[in-house]
Amino acid sequence: MAGTEGDQFLKQATGRNTRGMLRVIILCLIAGAAVSSRLFSVIRFESIIHEFDPWFNFRATKYLVQNGFYSFWDWFDDRTWHPLGRVTGGTLYPGLMVTSGVIYHLLRFLALPVDIRNICVLLAPGFSGLTALATYLLTSEMVTSPSAGLLAAAFMGITPGYISRSVAGSYDNEAIAIFLLVFTFFLWIKAVKNGSVFWGALTALFYGYMVSAWGGYVFITNLLPLHAFVLICMGRYSPRLYVSYTSWYALGTLASMQIPFVGFLPIRSSEHMSALGVFGLLQVVGFVEFVRTQLPSKQFQTLLRALVLIIFLVSFGGLVILTLSGVIAPWTGRFYSLWDTGYAKIHIPIIASVSEHQPTAWPAFFFDLSMMIWLFPAGVYLCFRSLTDEQVFIVIYSVLASYFAGVMVRLMLTLTPIVCVASAIAFSQILDTYLDAEMPKLEMKENGTSEPAKVAATAILPDGLRSTRSPLIGVYSYASKLTVVGASAVYLMLFVLHCTWVTSNAYSSPSVVLASRLPDGSQHIIDDYREAYYWLRQNTPDNAKIMSWWDYGYQIGGMADRPTLVDNNTWNNTHIATVGKAMSSREEVSYPIMRQHEVDYVLVVFGGLLGYSGDDINKFLWMVRIAEGIWPDEVKERDFFTARGEYRVDDEATLTMKNSLMYKMSYYNYNALFPAGQAQDRVRGARLPAEGPQLSTIEEAFTSENWIIRIYKVKDLDNFGRDHQSAGAFDKGHKKKRASKRKGARVLRVE
Amino acid sequence: MRSFPLFSSCLTALSTLVSAELNLSQPLLSKQVLPATFKPPQVFKNANLVRTTNLDKSYPRETINVIIENVDSKPQSEYYLPFESGLISRVGGFEVKDKKAPEKGIFKVEVVEYDTESPTEFYLIHLPTPLKPKEQQTISISYSVLSALSPVPAQIEQSSKQYLQYTFSAYTPSAYVTEKQKTKIKFPNSDVPDYTSLPADLNADKKPDPQKQGSTFTYGPYNNIPAGAEELVSVRYEFTKPVTHASLLERDIEVSHWGGNLATEERYWLSNLGASLKNHFSRVEWQKTSYMNPPTSALKALPLPLHPGALNPYFTDDIGNVSTSRFRPGVREAHLELRPRYPVFGGWKYSFRVGWDADLSSYLRRLSTGESYVLKVPFLEGPRMPEGISYARVHVRVVLPEGAMNVKFSTTVPVVDTAITLHKTFMDTLGRTTLSLSAINLVDDFRERELVVTYDYPWTAGFRKPVVITLGMFAVFAVVWVVGSLDMSIGKKKTA
Repeated sequence: MAGTEGDQFLKQATGRNTRGMLRVIILCLIAGAAVSSRLFSVIRFESIIHEFDPWFNFRATKYLVQNGFYSFWDWFDDRTWHPLGRVTGGTLYPGLMVTSGVIYHLLRFLALPVDIRNICVLLAPGFSGLTALATYLLTSEMVTSPSAGLLAAAFMGITPGYISRSVAGSYDNEAIAIFLLVFTFFLWIKAVKNGSVFWGALTALFYGYMVSAWGGYVFITNLLPLHAFVLICMGRYSPRLYVSYTSWYALGTLASMQIPFVGFLPIRSSEHMSALGVFGLLQVVGFVEFVRTQLPSKQFQTLLRALVLIIFLVSFGGLVILTLSGVIAPWTGRFYSLWDTGYAKIHIPIIASVSEHQPTAWPAFFFDLSMMIWLFPAGVYLCFRSLTDEQVFIVIYSVLASYFAGVMVRLMLTLTPIVCVASAIAFSQILDTYLDAEMPKLEMKENGTSEPAKVAATAILPDGLRSTRSPLIGVYSYASKLTVVGASAVYLMLFVLHCTWVTSNAYSSPSVVLASRLPDGSQHIIDDYREAYYWLRQNTPDNAKIMSWWDYGYQIGGMADRPTLVDNNTWNNTHIATVGKAMSSREEVSYPIMRQHEVDYVLVVFGGLLGYSGDDINKFLWMVRIAEGIWPDEVKERDFFTARGEYRVDDEATLTMKNSLMYKMSYYNYNALFPAGQAQDRVRGARLPAEGPQLSTIEEAFTSENWIIRIYKVKDLDNFGRDHQSAGAFDKGHKKKRASKRKGARVLRVE
Repeated sequence: MRSFPLFSSCLTALSTLVSAELNLSQPLLSKQVLPATFKPPQVFKNANLVRTTNLDKSYPRETINVIIENVDSKPQSEYYLPFESGLISRVGGFEVKDKKAPEKGIFKVEVVEYDTESPTEFYLIHLPTPLKPKEQQTISISYSVLSALSPVPAQIEQSSKQYLQYTFSAYTPSAYVTEKQKTKIKFPNSDVPDYTSLPADLNADKKPDPQKQGSTFTYGPYNNIPAGAEELVSVRYEFTKPVTHASLLERDIEVSHWGGNLATEERYWLSNLGASLKNHFSRVEWQKTSYMNPPTSALKALPLPLHPGALNPYFTDDIGNVSTSRFRPGVREAHLELRPRYPVFGGWKYSFRVGWDADLSSYLRRLSTGESYVLKVPFLEGPRMPEGISYARVHVRVVLPEGAMNVKFSTTVPVVDTAITLHKTFMDTLGRTTLSLSAINLVDDFRERELVVTYDYPWTAGFRKPVVITLGMFAVFAVVWVVGSLDMSIGKKKTA
């Protein structure tokens, strides 16, 4: 009853306004749900920046807020990549930091001095609310059904595929980039539909913003030309397309070139050439269209053929020549790895070593998208049915994004919006069909029958006479309606359950802090990372250089506030390989490397005591591989495997392994925790050698409570000019002559 | 407030709130600079003087009980106590009371100084009633000296004992002739491996000097020591406890009438001045010994007793929440046990912030005379440890509601600088009235001292915020409405 009253209310004169109001309220609720479902980690832990990259973004934002925009733009950071430094202002995408800075100053202006950390932590959830709104707008442009937009917004708000990169604290470029991506696509569709310069210029504006925010802007740069190209190929060239594309390309390219990191790439790199090509093609097509109106068709045919041939040859030849001569940069490695998933592992181990660059496993699709993964093709199919200009866009987008999402885990993120849109279209189609209760009810009353199912059944019987009399087509059986609608509702609820479960369990851990449960059920927090970082921050000189594997570079920069040798901005492979070599070589080789790089402290992550599997010994092979890429003669991956090809840390580990600095630092003094000969590595399930490794050139400076972080101090040169081995032997009381002899023998025997 | 007017200009050195280190060599500036030739008029003599040096805590506490006698012909009220200029900037909590009638309150004292070349400076004690000629009075002077203990040896093993050395003059510094005096030193235990022995003939009783009684040593008695006499002695004793020192403590107390809340936040810059580690920190050794819980020179925990009714405590540092804290609310006192992220060994530092809320009604009272309020809060809270903690600088800020006027305060803590400023924060238009007080060289003995603030807060001021916000919202709506109703389209109108 309430429903019919509501329906009547909606049908009244104020219906339009009421529905608009209702829609706004629903959208606000969706945005609220989107924001609040991302707050698990803040509630469970604290308002903290997660993972690795966000720590750099946070540090850069703090720099921006403290020093102003211009010094941020010109920022040369001498506290990373020691001794090289990094031109940070010119090698980052500033959109994220500037956005936070603007919000920070805006709130200050409104007398709300919110801490910059809280702004950074909550930026991603806030923008996810906006993304839901943008998805609503995009979907509403695609189909007439108003429910599709709302469904798409709701899907977008809670789908784990997007939450994975936008929980509170995940302060990464993607936090704002996905909103910009969806919104730019919305503006583009709007521009194509209206053929207006205004919408084209807005597209360019948001495209420029997107370029400033995320390297994934290349996806837009290639998707929009592809859309335009497909439309032309379908014979759908129109002045609307011409106006919208040219205004977007001209303004958008100019806008993108304002970002120092992008600079002249839009006219020089291969990734951007398709946009330029389609721009040229559009001019040609536009010109041809113009000529067509002026010339008789016979002459026009000849002219067209010649023209097409010449232009194709000239432009393709030009492209090849420019690429060969180096004016246009060739494809980058990250790009090749999009086409050949094995490429990176062979040629650029550093890209392959990042877990998010791995090909996606099949379950990940179900995990991240749940029921949408099977609604998605249905939605795409529905687009094929009418295939308007904007629905062509959906088709192209889904095909491309599906491929990329299969190649690289992190590109699941670009697939998610279109999956939401397409499945919302499919789902709203189902609901619109099965929830439409009004029409048949009236018919039934006219028929005056008490059995609606029967009437509905008879109404749709393929009886020619009847169907001509009452041309009602559709599903009118309450039973089938209830079944389908009920099933849909169950699916929706399962979807919400799944999303919440995944968010809560998989994507809400800060990874800086590990949580465990005590026997009494209370939460116990393992906070070793911050313990060690804070120790570094408080008790080492301000410019003490820390050497660690690059994974921890950003965190050391952000939390410990100390200069690092390498960090997650992996721009210099050789430098990373140097660190890899120092870690994987013998002490005698590593010590000069560390001295040359003025290393004061070495930080390693060791999970053996706690069973923490993300530690450096497990990442060690990547260090070896990357070092081997530069010094194939000095570091060999094969030497770290036993004769039977096993990677072991126990008694049977190879000599190279046991002598490597990383191995020694991980297990130094670890034996002392256990009864003699009982030392156990809980990650690799190995019993360690009875005698632990000896260190001579570095000394243990700090070990965190659960041994996850171990910090070593690099010893200064010996006062008497001896090498550290003989100095150590002397301190132990060995005679000098015998010591050198015995030392060699002992190293061979024991280690 | 009236008690310490001359301190008010003492703090040019302390105006830099951000720098964490106190420049100890910088002398305190004073209003009264005396010429270098100044010698306190010899109008008093110390008939009998007993000094007690208490080394229980991580800073020496000196108590001088002295019978002073006016030897002049006129009534006198100005008694001088000399300090070396390097020492006086580390003397804290200088208080003088009448020994016989301590309820009379604390005497007025001030720092006076010769010109900067002079090595000696004075505390000038104003007796509340001038002492008549030939009359005697017993006064009790107490103070503590910060950063006076040095670890010897300066580097120790991680689990070995720590020894501190204290150097002082066996003759109590005085500007007057002292007829009879002795110095008692109370050690935390009887492990005193080194101490200076003075020749027995200096001693009035001709006994070996010092006299030992368990953990108490006595230097003296000495007879007829002239003014300014000095005899340096040092003692070295075991103190295997952290020497906790806060180079800076910032304490904010924020009053919210609307929320009925008193929010306190304290920011500490702690360091351990004890002996540093000879080798580096060894986690194995630490874990092995921590089962036995032996005495250690590392700072493991900071127990912070709060007033009952404290709520929502937090303990964070520069990189976020420190998860190793426990909070036990209780009827008598709420106990907040803070554990630093790592044990703070000698030479290590640890800075953090801690804060909590409390119900305002137990701290604030409205006066019957209308719109005046009285706020009574502790001047200093902070950790309560048996070994004590010293603060080189303490900045207390009382943030009153926006629109509070006529701010007055009183406290028995010697304050060196005061200011009343505006602090602009959440949704403020003018800024909140803020009373800033600075004190130097405090120790944890002061943690129960109170700060009483009175201020006027008209009820209209309380409505400033809602009115401003409402007006702001209306302004935004109006602007949106005006902008929305403007027609800025180019070309002909659709409806026309």
